[in-house]
Amino acid sequence: MKILVVEDEPSLLSSIQEYFIQEDFLCEGVATYTESIRKIEDFTYDCIILDLNLPDGNGLSFLKYLRSEKKDDGVIIISARNSLDDRIQGLNLGADDYIVKPFHLSELNARVKALLRRKYGKGTNILEAGNLKLDLSSRTAKCNEQPLSLTKHEFDLLTYLLNNKNKVVSRQAIAEHIYGDESENMPSFDFVYWHIKNLKKKLKETECDELIQTVYGLGYKISL
Amino acid sequence: MRTLLQRNTRYLLTWLPVVLLMCSFIFYILMKMQAHHMQEKQLQLKQSNIWAVFLKNNGNIERSVPGEYEISKETFNALTLANEPMDTSIYLSQKGQLLPFQLLSAHFKWNDGIYRVSTYVSSTEISHLIIKVFITEAVILGLLLLSIVILNKKSSQLLWRPFFSTLKQVNEYDIIQNQSLQLPPETGTTEFNELNKVFTDLINKVNTAYYNQKQFVENASHEMQTPLAIIRSKLELLINQPHLNEKVASQLADITEANDRLSQMNRTLLLLAKIENHQFPDTQAIDFSTLLRMDVSTLKAHYDDNFPELTMNIADNVILNANNSLIEILVHNLLNNAVEHNIQQGKLSIFLTSEKFIIENTGPPLTRPTEELFERFRKGSHMSKTTGLGLALVKQICILYNYSIIYDYTNGLHSIAVYFK
Repeated sequence: MKILVVEDEPSLLSSIQEYFIQEDFLCEGVATYTESIRKIEDFTYDCIILDLNLPDGNGLSFLKYLRSEKKDDGVIIISARNSLDDRIQGLNLGADDYIVKPFHLSELNARVKALLRRKYGKGTNILEAGNLKLDLSSRTAKCNEQPLSLTKHEFDLLTYLLNNKNKVVSRQAIAEHIYGDESENMPSFDFVYWHIKNLKKKLKETECDELIQTVYGLGYKISL
Repeated sequence: MRTLLQRNTRYLLTWLPVVLLMCSFIFYILMKMQAHHMQEKQLQLKQSNIWAVFLKNNGNIERSVPGEYEISKETFNALTLANEPMDTSIYLSQKGQLLPFQLLSAHFKWNDGIYRVSTYVSSTEISHLIIKVFITEAVILGLLLLSIVILNKKSSQLLWRPFFSTLKQVNEYDIIQNQSLQLPPETGTTEFNELNKVFTDLINKVNTAYYNQKQFVENASHEMQTPLAIIRSKLELLINQPHLNEKVASQLADITEANDRLSQMNRTLLLLAKIENHQFPDTQAIDFSTLLRMDVSTLKAHYDDNFPELTMNIADNVILNANNSLIEILVHNLLNNAVEHNIQQGKLSIFLTSEKFIIENTGPPLTRPTEELFERFRKGSHMSKTTGLGLALVKQICILYNYSIIYDYTNGLHSIAVYFK
């Protein structure tokens, strides 16, 4: 899978690139509008991660150009602007998703994977880790072929962890993923702990209990 | 405190009568002097006329007419007489009473000797005249006083009209609306023109300062987002490094948490700035009852066993016209505040009617003054994990929609009431 990251902030660009390279993506990065146009003229990407504020142009005009050229590369906008209007404008111009800075890389990763799944059909709608199987289209989970009865939040949490397999995901990232904007004003992320606790209990009943690991005070990870 | 008009009237009523009284006194003295002078002239004229008639008739005239004149021959060498009128009284038989007269006496020589000629002028008429003039004057002065007070009142009202209009406009000025104030530059009075100019300048300056401050917060928050994003991404890469030891991990956890709080604060500040800038214009009818019930159940799920004992009394179909996300934030922050600042095995009560929304919760008393509760970054020091912006947001949303918000603390119960219009 090939990803293009268009981001003018070099540190952020290198972080994103590093994360996606670890995820076994082919990841290229550019910092300017001109370079990004040149890239899409020559190559096709599965997903383009696009910052709106570029030194020599606007990410939205890049998007317009991309769609006018009838290219259907998936686009995820990463922007510092958080108003509904900005989002609507971005999505109307043909972006597939919109994330507001500062975001978690694990969240970006989950969104990229969701986008790719949407793009490449239903066959990829199954997430697997060892004996655990998640069917994203029917939203069902099975462990050792035994069905798990999960709440919406638990299912989302598990999907998120599986999307970031082998990565430590912080409690804050989980909170933001599950509750979205609502988590913004939550003073404590203790509820993530409660969800994990319940989830572990349910996994234990189907003998998948070793799946989720707690990494010191940092967060959680599913690894094999 | 008295109004300007009251003070002015009071001043006039204190000092004008004094001045008028003094004037009346001077007037009286002057009139008295004039009357005296006139009588003297009259007496002298009478005297010379009578003497002339006496000489013409060789002394064959009536020697005495009461109240008019008296001619008598001096029997001895008379003393020189002062040529000055003097007061006297004469009994007039036809009137049957003693009346005041002015008398002027003089000596004249004729044939055989010295004659004394005394002439009389009645003082009654002149003193009556003085009294009548004086009464008339008093009435005129009284009318003058009254008309001055009334005129002053009328003219004050007229003259100060631009001032009161300016006052009203300035009073209605609200910096949060950031409206510009249009005071008329031409009022017809130099001082008020000046006043309006000074006010207009001042308010323009205040508006600019307020706008700049708001812009600053918004710009600063915007600019901070990229560095925050960098820190966050680097931290995520760091926590995924293999072979982290526990010490480094716990330090990374602390940094992550602090950074996330910073991001939250930043987002909230941006949100506050946006609300202040009225960047949430899209309003819709919101079913507040449903929204509240849903939020309570979500929050209950978050806190699991730690959720306080809940009493709910929520009226159905409470509809608000507002921006959906802002009302969600309002409800969420109030609920969250009530749960977060609760005690172990505490209580939480939620009431909703079409007029008001009340949240009551148990909790330790505030360590800071009540007025500071809704200000930014005012928080109980023990809650270091909160941003201190949640209630400031609530307040800002209430201001935006003209809801009044009232806090009360009695018997260990915090209560926050929001009154919809």
